Amino acid sequence: MDNPLYPQLGDIDAITTAFGAAGYICTPRIATVVYLAAALNKPILVEGPPGVGKTELAKTCAEVIAKPLVRLQCYEGLDEAKALYEWKYGKQLLYTQILKEQLGDILEGAQGLKQSIQRLHSTGDVFYAKEFLEPRPLLRAMEQNDGAVLLIDEIDKADFEFESLLLEVLSDYQVSIPEIGTVQARSKPMVFLTSNDTRDLSDALKRRCLHLHIPFPSIELEGRIVTARVPELQERLGDQLVRFVHAVRELDLKKAPAISETIDWARSLVLLHANELDARLVHDTLNVLLKYEEDIIEAEDQMGKLLKLADVL
Amino acid sequence: MTATPGSNQLLAFIKFLRGRDIPVSPADTLDAVQAASLLGYEQRDTLRDGLAAVLAKSSHEELTYREAFDLFFQPAKNEAQQTSAQEDASAARESPDSGEVPAGEQDAVGDSLEDLLQGAAGGMDPALSELAASSLMQALQGGDEAALSLSIEAAAEAAKVDQIQMFTQRGQYTRRLLDELGETALRDAAIALENSHPRAFAEVQELREDLRQRARDRVERAYLVHAAGDTEDFLDSALAEVRLANISPHQMARMRRLIDRMARKLASRHGRRRRRTRRGQLNVPATLRAAAATDGVPFNTHWRHIRKKKPQVMAICDVSGSVAAYAKFLLMFLYAVQDVLPRTRSFAFSSTLGEVTEWFDSLPVEEAVTRVNRVYGGATDYARAFLDFSSLALQDINKATTVIILGDARNNNSDPRLDLLAEIKARCKRLIWLNPEPRVGWGTGDSAMLPVIQHCHIATECNNLKQLERIVDKLLSEARGR
Repeated sequence: MDNPLYPQLGDIDAITTAFGAAGYICTPRIATVVYLAAALNKPILVEGPPGVGKTELAKTCAEVIAKPLVRLQCYEGLDEAKALYEWKYGKQLLYTQILKEQLGDILEGAQGLKQSIQRLHSTGDVFYAKEFLEPRPLLRAMEQNDGAVLLIDEIDKADFEFESLLLEVLSDYQVSIPEIGTVQARSKPMVFLTSNDTRDLSDALKRRCLHLHIPFPSIELEGRIVTARVPELQERLGDQLVRFVHAVRELDLKKAPAISETIDWARSLVLLHANELDARLVHDTLNVLLKYEEDIIEAEDQMGKLLKLADVL
Repeated sequence: MTATPGSNQLLAFIKFLRGRDIPVSPADTLDAVQAASLLGYEQRDTLRDGLAAVLAKSSHEELTYREAFDLFFQPAKNEAQQTSAQEDASAARESPDSGEVPAGEQDAVGDSLEDLLQGAAGGMDPALSELAASSLMQALQGGDEAALSLSIEAAAEAAKVDQIQMFTQRGQYTRRLLDELGETALRDAAIALENSHPRAFAEVQELREDLRQRARDRVERAYLVHAAGDTEDFLDSALAEVRLANISPHQMARMRRLIDRMARKLASRHGRRRRRTRRGQLNVPATLRAAAATDGVPFNTHWRHIRKKKPQVMAICDVSGSVAAYAKFLLMFLYAVQDVLPRTRSFAFSSTLGEVTEWFDSLPVEEAVTRVNRVYGGATDYARAFLDFSSLALQDINKATTVIILGDARNNNSDPRLDLLAEIKARCKRLIWLNPEPRVGWGTGDSAMLPVIQHCHIATECNNLKQLERIVDKLLSEARGR
């Protein structure tokens, strides 16, 4: 039952290894869901706090299976003209102009209104033809000949109506264009939807997807992720850094630092040639990790405790 | 797809999940079966992760799911532990023989069950010989777990244990299951041995207790899988129809959960419809109409837009003794849907009226409600309440405002000043009167409900959670302009 399009995703262990090689450390959970998605041809709805690697998962998947990544960033007010397709109005206008010029030739010798209209009908309707169709991300993903990764990012930012629009794409891999008919996907893409949980998605949408929640990782896992992403980082520093971040997450913050921030911080420390974490270094670079002034103040207040938890003192 | 023993178990698990308030649709079930057949049943963790992706649709559900999975697919009983326990038992059985009991005494009364049973084969007591022959006894004595659980399953099927519906039926089903297992033979043997062979008797009793425990576990599991959810649903639906005034304190926790759930449902039904921006769309009919004046040249263009209305709800609650309980639930409900209905102002009155919105903003709902009751409780005076309300908030009422009044309209035979009510009605979009009294009681005694009806857009009876839910549902769809 493995998906012949994506042989790389035919086995859970193989997924873990391949994603690991591409720099994405999978938990068994993630690998299982990716495997199921490929085998069952279902989209994955990835939820979790910002910065835990939801988007990265889709990107890595595209890299692993070596297929193009088609990305649709959602925002309030996104509609089908920007997500699905649009008519090329300019071309259509030109077409009517040409038609107008040719009209004399077509209608030459026609008797009366009825015959003229009949002649006109017989020329065929090319006004709404595929040539005038401008594919947007969803349609473009459907038009790939041998598979693709479709990433629908931050679906919770889009309007509710947009979700309904997606249902047809997600369950049947097809798009209905009123003027043309139904367009079937040439090959079924791997679909990832990400959501930051800012609002509840509709049950209809959830029902069509496999659900994957990515929480903040454990210390051990985050350590592995940081090592994979920032290999230059020294082991001792990496260990301290991850512990420190975990301690910070326990604080009452406006925005807890995510994995992406941990990685950014690790990169900054490498740039600064740091060998070990200390109070001054943390003080100078804390703004990489925390994005709000009040969070930074809160962390500074608790610095002693945090450093102790990070095994520095 | 063929039904394997595994998929049967999966179906039972799905039923179990539904009982725990995780909605699993038939399509989900198909997916789950497919996923399970792909993943196999051997690796428990993989199966758990895989099924989670199919069956649990939110992180909230996932927590419940994980608990349920662990409960349902209990890890196979630790074999090592089993055997060691058995060794202990047999060691214990042997130790008395090994010496401390005086030999003579042992000969007289101390025949062990095993000896007796072997003797029975030669024919001494009919009850004992029957027992010795039964496969149940052999399985029990031999510690043959597989055979034992097989016969328990068979007996459970015969006793229709899976039809259990209520918690209280557990004893009854356990007994039935034991009967099917043939426990009577053990009981007969125990009676036969009680006086003659105390040691064998004790052993039989031990075996009986073991068996009873297993039967109880089996019935308990059947209850959890097949009925626990139904019972919960039954209690919930019953509670939703109880008169709010009759809700006792010990039901409050369940009540709060119920309100939360209803509110969540309503919020998700109404909250999703976000304002749709239609900037930049030409309103063709309007433009053409306007173009008629300029001889068909669209000189003045008209654009589509949706006027943004800010819905506002004002809740006026009578908190005098007779209706205080209802006010509490109405307010709890209104504030549970704050995500969708953010501009709610609440007022409480009995003799005087005051705005209590701030309390609800700053305090947990429960606490705010008790505070309201404490400060504004007392004898009802509608005239005064309307007067206070008019001076406080009448100027803020506009055509986007819905006013809800909760009260029994019993004004102790004084004039309720319905002219003020008429003025409120004239200014607001909708005036809803909720009366906890049943409709037949309206207008009896000192109730001014009949004249009140004329001054309301909607006057309705509201005395249980179901009716309350319906009202709030209506309120949400109207306030949000659907």
